[in-house]
Amino acid sequence: MNPVAVFGPYNTRVTHNTQSRPSGDASRVALIACAVAAAGMLLFPLAALGRGFSADAVLLHLSGSVLNLANNQQAPQADPGNALALGWATLAMIAVTLIGAVRRAGWFWITGLLATVLAVTAVLVLDNGLAAQIERVAADTSLRAGTRRQLRNFYDGGGMNLGLFLPLLAGLIAAGAGLSARPWVMDRFNRLRGLLVPVSAITLAVLVGAVVVLMVQPSVNPTDQALTLWQGWLAKSDVVYFVYSTLFAPVTRLSPLLSSLKLATPLIFTGLSVAFAFRTGLFNIGAPGQLTMGAIGAMLMGVYGPPSLGWALLPLSVLAAAAGGALWGAIPGLLKARFGSSEVINTIMLNYVASAVFIFMIGSETFAFLGKEYPLPFKAPGFEAKSQELQPTAQLPTLLDLFNVGPVGGGYVLSIGIVVALIALLIARFLLRAVKNGGLIAVVIAVVAGALTWRIGLPANVNGSQLNASFLIALVCVALFGTLMWRTATGYALRAVGLSPRAAEYGGISVARGTILAMTLAGMFAGLAGTHYVNGGALDEYRLKGNMPVNVGFDGIAVALMGQNTPTGVVLASLLFGTVDTGGVDVDQQLEAVNKDIVTVLKALIVLFIAAGGFLSRRLVDPPPPQLVAATDRTGTDEGGRLSPGVAAQQAGTPNPNVGQSSEENTREGGK
Amino acid sequence: MDGLLAQLITAAFLATFIRSLVPLLLTALGGLFSERSGVVNIALDGLIIFGALGGAVTTLLLQPALGSAAPWAGWVGGALIGGLIAWIHAVVSIKYRADQVISGTAINLLAAGVPPVILTALYDSSTESPKVANALPLWGVGELRFSPPVYFAFLAVAVTWYVLYRTPFGLRLRATGEQPGAAASMGINVRRMRYTAVILSGVLAGTAGVFLSIGNLDSYVRNISAGGGFIALAALIFGQWKPLGVLGATVLFGFLQALSIALGGGDLLPPTLVQALPYLITILALIFTGRSRAPRALGRPYDG
Repeated sequence: MNPVAVFGPYNTRVTHNTQSRPSGDASRVALIACAVAAAGMLLFPLAALGRGFSADAVLLHLSGSVLNLANNQQAPQADPGNALALGWATLAMIAVTLIGAVRRAGWFWITGLLATVLAVTAVLVLDNGLAAQIERVAADTSLRAGTRRQLRNFYDGGGMNLGLFLPLLAGLIAAGAGLSARPWVMDRFNRLRGLLVPVSAITLAVLVGAVVVLMVQPSVNPTDQALTLWQGWLAKSDVVYFVYSTLFAPVTRLSPLLSSLKLATPLIFTGLSVAFAFRTGLFNIGAPGQLTMGAIGAMLMGVYGPPSLGWALLPLSVLAAAAGGALWGAIPGLLKARFGSSEVINTIMLNYVASAVFIFMIGSETFAFLGKEYPLPFKAPGFEAKSQELQPTAQLPTLLDLFNVGPVGGGYVLSIGIVVALIALLIARFLLRAVKNGGLIAVVIAVVAGALTWRIGLPANVNGSQLNASFLIALVCVALFGTLMWRTATGYALRAVGLSPRAAEYGGISVARGTILAMTLAGMFAGLAGTHYVNGGALDEYRLKGNMPVNVGFDGIAVALMGQNTPTGVVLASLLFGTVDTGGVDVDQQLEAVNKDIVTVLKALIVLFIAAGGFLSRRLVDPPPPQLVAATDRTGTDEGGRLSPGVAAQQAGTPNPNVGQSSEENTREGGK
Repeated sequence: MDGLLAQLITAAFLATFIRSLVPLLLTALGGLFSERSGVVNIALDGLIIFGALGGAVTTLLLQPALGSAAPWAGWVGGALIGGLIAWIHAVVSIKYRADQVISGTAINLLAAGVPPVILTALYDSSTESPKVANALPLWGVGELRFSPPVYFAFLAVAVTWYVLYRTPFGLRLRATGEQPGAAASMGINVRRMRYTAVILSGVLAGTAGVFLSIGNLDSYVRNISAGGGFIALAALIFGQWKPLGVLGATVLFGFLQALSIALGGGDLLPPTLVQALPYLITILALIFTGRSRAPRALGRPYDG
């Protein structure tokens, strides 16, 4: 569509450029990105030519100087090859892009992209050099096995560093900013606008986290050589890169990926729980308590359910978990609906109550009441606080066992059925997008494709993982959330209550009913997380254990906010946090002064920054509809960022939509 | 039951009662300032933790230089840290118009993550700080000897009442929380009032934390607040956002906490369940408060 036709002939102020020159904002973004990248290339190490277990590294700077802080000083140095030359070329390209951004030239996306390509090539060249060393070590029979493994890990730990990562990213950003002048690209970006706040929040949290790491962790220097100021800085900045690369590393290999998925599973549940309540205008801080009650429910049914039920015990136990959580969620819902007491405080109080019940049940074998001792059957004998073991029929299988199509006990051969089904689903959806009921047909095709290829497996080299079928329950909950919220009348009512209780009431929707229902379902989602720990044996035993990390309930708040309270968003945010949690354990092991609580800090910062809207201007995050912009442009009365929607809409001749104001008014009523 | 009653009218119980009451009272008074200005402060619990940590760490750092005066510096340090963290809450919720409950929750989450990081970096332990050489002094007679923040807390009730109802500042504060628009039209700087109130709430909650870490104990330990910030918030609602009401509510909650401590030692009720009592009572108290008379602009960002 021709923008001129939309805005009309009176368009005096150019909002969407008709020439393919990037807008001022876009060029500024590219400018900042390139400036940061250029400074970063000069100030930070380019790469690590090897890294020992305690994060000690051989650092290479763009100038070609090498700083060897490795524990093992004798290890021969890997050959960086042409990486340095490529690094300089990247820097040059970034500089050219910078100039292009200053002049708002139409071409700087090309140089930005080239910078990225050059940086990636440099990374590949580096990895090549490291791989050569690994090969040499593997072939060197004069080394003992232990030394060989150590050296292999040493070279394996090397790779790019901030000096290459920053230009790689900046090139991409510049390319995106440069291309945003084209309407079709801008359209894509507009659709991704919802990601702006979470991405900005993560970036800020990572920056603040970097400052924290810089402050608490001294540079890793096991060699005891005196460092100059410059060398100390290089070593320090390397620590920051090391922390973050380790935090985000688990996606790259199968075994850590499985542990990430394992840690992500309860986050999906609790994230859905918080998000569901948010959608109805309620703040559920009670996920930890609901999770606890769910786990207790699952344990009671799983341990004490009649064994004669056989396989039916498992679904019953899962339902018991749901019921336990639902009960604990329904209480604050009811109190809010009936007495108007704040669900925020009540859910927090119920967390403490649940924790007391939890400790009461599995903390001791007896309890005192009115001066007498009574036996309590739940605790397993022994020092540790844990319940009796679940009956085998109430245990969820691990996913590896579920997808294993190889012979029993002979390593894992994972079925490709699921992957094939997913790919088939995507392709079929795309091909059948014009056909009526295409979605349904696509699902059928996917199921058939999955069933046909189920017996075909790929051998996987992976240690056992307690990632279990509760992950599938989580995915079912995701589907349930989406369907209920956006495809049923109940969901419509709930969302209406969330957007504006008063309007909903006026429209004949019972706010009280909605509140109770939403809290019950939110509690149910959180309670189901109990199945992960109890039925799924995520804590290595099929019991209710005292060390159950109930704090994942609070992480659910961060997950829901990151995921913008959408089911897909919750899944993606959970995967991100699961990854970071897994990486946090590695960081904890390898660095002395940084422990895994840095991850908790990062999550808290993300919540804080999302609450602050990522410190982004409203104009960027939630721009007024184009008609309004056009209208103000025509009248020329108002600044672009500060138009008053009412006036603009009246002049455009449309009914007053009251954007921006009404939604805020209502969130206030939704609060306490 | 006779045994219990006899237990309840001892000086030891009175001392336990006052020690449970003081952190709640200080925190709730802090919450009073913040909420009377129209800013929901669910971050109180986190502010207590930051104050406790700040108090202990400051004392430990200044101990070699100041000796027995160090805990007083620790008090100042803890209160300042509390104020600083509250300022973050204020910036995010006043300047950036965030949802105040979410921003407060973020502070609480920070309070779960930051102390272990700092303690690991400083003392190589993620759960507690080393013991301070000198805690705050104890003033009083016999078993009823308390550290200075206790006396400060009771003084603070009177001062708060006076400030709120007898000074121009108090009038402006109340106006800001009820009708920020009207207040602004009378020339009151609404934002500045709110910043002041929120930071003040951080200072008071920080003092509560200081009392817990170097007044009551002699080190910072994990989870030192035990949800006291939330109970204080409930006491604030139960006390209808009035200084004397808050005093009454915290006396009730403090008594119940002391009772649960006293009961926890006996064999009358399972001690693990008794620990849940204060929280259950809080829920009950909120039921009977019903739709309370909250400051009318509570929770609404002010755009002026």
